[in-house]
Amino acid sequence: MSGGNRQATVVGLHALPFSKNIGMTERNAGARAILGALDDAGLGAADVDGMFRFGWETTTELEMGRIVGVGNLRAFGEVGFGGGAGAPVVAMASTAIEQGVADVVVLWRARNRGSGGRPWVSQLHAEGQDQFERPYGLVRPVDGMAMHVRYWMHHYGWGPEVFGRVAINNRDHARNNPMALMQKPMTMDDYLESRMIADPLRLFDCCLETDGAMAMVLTTAERARDLPIVPAYVTGHGMGSGPEGYAMTFYYGPEMGVTPARYVAPTLWKNTGLQAADMDVVQIYDAFTPQIPISFQEYGFCPDGEAADYMADGANPPYNTSGGGLSEAYVHGFNLLLEGVRQVRGTSSNQVADVQHSLVTSGNVVPTGAVVFSKDPS
Amino acid sequence: MTTADAPMLPVPVVDRDTQPFWSGCDEQRLFVQRCSGCHRWIWQPMPICPTCHAVDPVWTEVSGDGVVASWTVIRPPVLAGHAGRTPFVILLIQLDEGVRLLGYLVDDAGEWSTTDGTAENISMGARAALRWHRQDGRWLPSWTLPPRL
Repeated sequence: MSGGNRQATVVGLHALPFSKNIGMTERNAGARAILGALDDAGLGAADVDGMFRFGWETTTELEMGRIVGVGNLRAFGEVGFGGGAGAPVVAMASTAIEQGVADVVVLWRARNRGSGGRPWVSQLHAEGQDQFERPYGLVRPVDGMAMHVRYWMHHYGWGPEVFGRVAINNRDHARNNPMALMQKPMTMDDYLESRMIADPLRLFDCCLETDGAMAMVLTTAERARDLPIVPAYVTGHGMGSGPEGYAMTFYYGPEMGVTPARYVAPTLWKNTGLQAADMDVVQIYDAFTPQIPISFQEYGFCPDGEAADYMADGANPPYNTSGGGLSEAYVHGFNLLLEGVRQVRGTSSNQVADVQHSLVTSGNVVPTGAVVFSKDPS
Repeated sequence: MTTADAPMLPVPVVDRDTQPFWSGCDEQRLFVQRCSGCHRWIWQPMPICPTCHAVDPVWTEVSGDGVVASWTVIRPPVLAGHAGRTPFVILLIQLDEGVRLLGYLVDDAGEWSTTDGTAENISMGARAALRWHRQDGRWLPSWTLPPRL
């Protein structure tokens, strides 16, 4: 282990332009994103000795390392469950760096979900948990989500306007972000008039279907001092699955309406030594609008059941300042990680003033996690 | 369609842990596991009770009576096998035993209902009764919403 401050620090970011059809393989796009992030950091492939991937990533650390010219990986692995993996791969990278296992770790996500089609349409064999779900046509993420949302609306008294405010917030932010795919203004009437996809979820409750490729580079705080970037320090993170978990459809057992985020929160705040009120800006995983109010509750920004009033009163910190999955791009939340770091760097297109702490959460209806990036080392 | 046709909708891939459930369905009987040690009900199927670790929770026949815990309406025909049959309702039913299962909203005879739930006056907590719906050569547990008096 080298000496000095080994606190994990984000030093490189890169995103290829988002689109409906990126015109290249995920392999090609992923490798370009990784090289872009290393360039941003002032580092090269020869410096890389750790890589962690999303379980659903079609490229592997072996393949990406081979293509970009990594000499030897000392730390590698994956986190499963789709969009829950974003903050957890940052946690893996941070742990590896802070334990002295690796010095420069690359994370990436390349996904052709815009041009690549909808995988659930043609899957006619339902194994494991799917055998009790898919034969009824509960096949899309939005179908699984709708069951939770109906329950939350009933349990918390939420009307569609609670979700409409989220869609509009994200669209307004996207319109200041040249990278964002959705630039058309949205009103509450636009939201309410959008067609039902899986009741009670409308089209504008749903994220985009995007081709995208992004990467992030982390190293030690000590090494970051010598690099030509504004560092974003990883203050802490948490992961959680909750009891008797299922991907998306965790409504069979004792607890109804509680997401894995409820189980992340105590670990996150203990690990960071911070609390929700310390967050200056937040990026909350938004495959669907209702994930924002439920996450404000479950991460402790407001008491259980009070998210609608909390958000209507504007008591929340600025959220999803790039436009998020709803209006910037949907790439399993990796764009939320980049935006969380940009807010610390001071380079967001919707920059919040004087950001000290920036929270990013990952998909909360699967095993998930959250991470806090900060301006100062801890 | 007949059972000889290729399936139009996703087909359960039955394994040793789930076979008793599907065998019950073949006889239009609903079985859910109950732990012989701590007596808790278990769904989806598990080989070991997650609470007390007693092995082989007992497959126990239930009436299927329960209440609507949630539901969604499928509007665009996502799967080819549902073409021309939308909208339809997928229910999450909380059995009186406490566990929750998915099923179609069907009519009193278990036949397909092209509905968004309005005609059935669907609501959270509404009583639901088990019916059996035939799909791709298999009986699927589904539920009907009896008219409220």
